Amino acid sequence: MMWGFRLEFKQNLRTKKFWVIIGIMALLYIPSFYIMKSFFLQSGREITNEAAMSMLISSITGMTSFFVAILALLIGATAINSEIEKGTLRIAMSKPIKRLHYIGGKFLAHILVLLIAILFSTAISIAGILYIGGSLTSQLVTDVLLLNLLLLLAMIQLVALGYIISTLIKSATTALGLALAVMFIVFMIVPSMVGFLAIKDTMNNPHTSMEEVQQIQKEYTTKYLFYDPISQVKVITADVSTMSSSNSGVIRNIRYNGVAYAIRHNPTNLAHILWLTALYLIIGFYRFLRMDLR
Amino acid sequence: MILRIENLIKTYGDVKALNGLNLEVKQGQIYGFLGPNGAGKSTTILSTLGLIFPQQGRIELFDTEVFRDGKYDESSLVEVKRKIGYMPEHATLWEFLTPLQTLDMIGEAFGIPKGKRAERSEELLKLLNLWDVRNKKVGKFSKGMRQRLLLAQSLINDPELLILDEPMTGLDPSGIAEFKGIIRELNREGKTVFFSSHILAHVEEICDTVGVIVKGKLIVEDNLESIKREFLRRAGYTIIVETSRPVSFDGVEWKVSPLGEKKYRIVTPGDIREEIHDFVASQRAKILTMQVKEPTLEEIFLKMVE
Repeated sequence: MMWGFRLEFKQNLRTKKFWVIIGIMALLYIPSFYIMKSFFLQSGREITNEAAMSMLISSITGMTSFFVAILALLIGATAINSEIEKGTLRIAMSKPIKRLHYIGGKFLAHILVLLIAILFSTAISIAGILYIGGSLTSQLVTDVLLLNLLLLLAMIQLVALGYIISTLIKSATTALGLALAVMFIVFMIVPSMVGFLAIKDTMNNPHTSMEEVQQIQKEYTTKYLFYDPISQVKVITADVSTMSSSNSGVIRNIRYNGVAYAIRHNPTNLAHILWLTALYLIIGFYRFLRMDLR
Repeated sequence: MILRIENLIKTYGDVKALNGLNLEVKQGQIYGFLGPNGAGKSTTILSTLGLIFPQQGRIELFDTEVFRDGKYDESSLVEVKRKIGYMPEHATLWEFLTPLQTLDMIGEAFGIPKGKRAERSEELLKLLNLWDVRNKKVGKFSKGMRQRLLLAQSLINDPELLILDEPMTGLDPSGIAEFKGIIRELNREGKTVFFSSHILAHVEEICDTVGVIVKGKLIVEDNLESIKREFLRRAGYTIIVETSRPVSFDGVEWKVSPLGEKKYRIVTPGDIREEIHDFVASQRAKILTMQVKEPTLEEIFLKMVE
């Protein structure tokens, strides 16, 4: 298994898509933190730990999850077919290596590559928080690690979905196109539509509070977007802080609960991520074990 | 027996790539596996290595059954693969690796210790004239260099059976000559070589046994001389006869052309020695010359495919 892992890991670190996505993330993060620092300087406010964590969570679940999700789906969708096209898979599998060990090694390498991408963006985010004036507390570090694990789980689901695409579509270019289309339609347009529907349904009652709107959005996401791991992560991380507002809708208080609390209070969303990941992996692995490598 | 394939059937959708293939490769042979494009050569090789799943049949490697009726015995297959070297058709290697790194990585897959891997890599890269480019990325290699590296990777484990799928495709004449020399040398060292090609001249010069596959079935399997002898029977004849009567044949595919007074050239498509005898007797003709046109392997092959 480690043979396939080492080979795949080296290969992935040398692919353009990995460095392009890392580069784009870095380019987007740096100006955003510069703007935030200007905002804090102008308003004369000091950054609290809670505010720092909220910023970190929003940047990680927002920008990082978007870019790493694209990376995950693309890595998965071209994992097998591109190797069949190049002929390297035939060479590898003509050696005394079991198919399960080979795909297992590939999978481990993909996890590590995604973890590197997530940690990279997290490191930039933490550097950004320090740059703005926040401080690095033990809770912030613990929560960031938990959040990274959660995000990694979500990304593994996308890699596994990519494996299914990769075993179904022989051409790596077509698979790449399909993966991008899936990303755009299924993981971007459909969640926006569901979010819109949730807001539309709350508009019937003008007295609906902000908490109730959030609750309905959460219910809709859990129910209709169970297949979208990023949406499920967003539902979970929404509970990291709790906002209470007055009747007029003005935010009165923000209470910081932490990532562990948020995960504990959303078991259904975590379960959606886990069971679909397992299902996709079983299908992807099974297809690889039974497929003709030609 | 190094390789035994029995009644192997593989279909891709409606297309029967292998249609009850039977094949045997004995130790020490250089077995030429011939066939036109799409005949099932690569499918046979991929099945042998467990890379595709035939629907039916049986495959034995080194007297170990590795496949029967749709299922591979993966543990046995992994074990016998330790004795096999495979050079695929139309493959690139990992372009980000150098030849040294490639051979090291492949050697690692066989569980060869690091020191021994380095020694073997050096030996092979020198043998295949790649030592000077040992630290150059494979992505920058020419076609010929890639082919040589593909051969090198197939030899890293010092295999008992070497499976080469169209190994000389794309090589220039000097590369082909060099390649043939290496294959002969490997065979002299005791390695069995199973070698597919549609370029008959390559097979003619280096293979002692030839199998011809057409539409997924082996239609001939013999040594080259026997195959040639068999097809000599179907050889064409050019006969020049002298006869006072005009020569004409109805319903026979003979080409008759006058060569001046009382002389005719008769060109026949196959072995018609009896008919010629009858003709000479009945026409009181005299055979002046008779030439047998020995078929090239190319022609034999085309006849078989027909």
